[in-house]
Amino acid sequence: MQSYWFGDVDDERCSPFDGDVNSCVDRIRSISASMDTFIPLDWKQSVLCRTCRDRADYIARLQAVCIAAAERSIREHYSGKDAELLQMVRTLDEFDTVINLLSERVTDWYITRHPTFSRKYRRTPAHVLVKTMREKSRGALGRVAGEIEHLTDTRTVLAKEVSARANEVMPNTSALIGGLVAARLLSHAGGLLELSRLPASAIQVIGARTALFAHLKTKSPSPKHGVIFQHRRVHNAPKEVRGKVARVLAGKLAIAARLDYFRGVAVPEFLNPAQERIDAVGKERES
Amino acid sequence: MLGGALVWDAHRSKLSALYHVGTGVELTPGMRVLYLGAANGTTVSHVADYVDVVYAVEFAPRPMQDLLEVSRRRKNVIPIMADAARPEQYAPLVESVDLLYQDVAQPDQAAIALRNCAFVKSGGFLILMLKTRSVDVRKEPAEVFQDTLDALLAAGLIVQESVWLAPYHHDHAAIVCTKPDV
Repeated sequence: MQSYWFGDVDDERCSPFDGDVNSCVDRIRSISASMDTFIPLDWKQSVLCRTCRDRADYIARLQAVCIAAAERSIREHYSGKDAELLQMVRTLDEFDTVINLLSERVTDWYITRHPTFSRKYRRTPAHVLVKTMREKSRGALGRVAGEIEHLTDTRTVLAKEVSARANEVMPNTSALIGGLVAARLLSHAGGLLELSRLPASAIQVIGARTALFAHLKTKSPSPKHGVIFQHRRVHNAPKEVRGKVARVLAGKLAIAARLDYFRGVAVPEFLNPAQERIDAVGKERES
Repeated sequence: MLGGALVWDAHRSKLSALYHVGTGVELTPGMRVLYLGAANGTTVSHVADYVDVVYAVEFAPRPMQDLLEVSRRRKNVIPIMADAARPEQYAPLVESVDLLYQDVAQPDQAAIALRNCAFVKSGGFLILMLKTRSVDVRKEPAEVFQDTLDALLAAGLIVQESVWLAPYHHDHAAIVCTKPDV
């Protein structure tokens, strides 16, 4: 017997499927053909089945069912808890890029009005500099500087929200590496399911794409870490053990991501020994 | 749009590029087409202008939303949200087709094409738009091209035409095959 969207066909007999578009969507999601014994669909059978009147009717009905099925799949895809976090963290990273670009541009502009200005040997943080430029500049320049301050405020709020959402969506990964970096791992992987399917060695070098492909193509050394470098555990580790910390941490992250996907709650039995193990590696020194 | 007509740009559509640099397959009014990797439905809508029906398979949700808009305006586009590597999932929806057109960014493009050849009628066509960089970035495009040709020939397909799509698309090749009569 062959099951098609409009009914089941056995030799020349056909049992039609009665139901509205929604139940037909349920049907096409549940049936699947075996490609070995597969007999290609013939639309005329649907007329024998009395599901459709003619070819135009057949195509119209099929299209309605397929559109409804696709709409449902899209809805399901975006209903995952990770879908919004993904957009949030990508927006955050975009903010950083924009703020940096605009700050540099505005500084160059400011220098044309104040030719003696230099940041060299001054420890002025970027946001203080932008504030000064806003206060000392008239017209559009001052407004652009004000706009940058505005963006920076929004960025701060967004970063807090990303961190909080990450703690909720991926509690184990966030516990090991912090919400922001956890969210960036998620963003690079493309989703929680995708992240949970990655091997530890891939998680270790997420975000080091250029270095990784340079390594694969030429004889340059392999990257030791990608975005996980942003966490203090990795960048504060002594240089000689940094690669090892990154490797052990990535190993634990791979397990954490799977726990996050399949359980969705923090698992202390895993987290406590994992934290200890990573800290222990960070304290090691080659003697 | 140019003078009221939809422009089919060779730089944006690989099928259009194929018609510029090679022969391709003539699209006729009675044709049924299975289109794998439909994306936003740009090329799909051009194909749909010529043929009877296009079964457009796409996996990613974001381009699928655009494809749905295309289907709402064109009665002969059937959008299918499924993975082209798993034809058994959409087999209950698709009839036998005269042309299988494939443009997917996957490593195993030859295997996907062969699996979907079950839908192609005897004497029907396969147009495979080979994205060599998706197969393996470390390999030379020419090497990937040859490997793919070998795989298609080994499966019993007759290769009619194989061309690179330069200067319109880099590292992309088009392979046109026919399925022999059994």
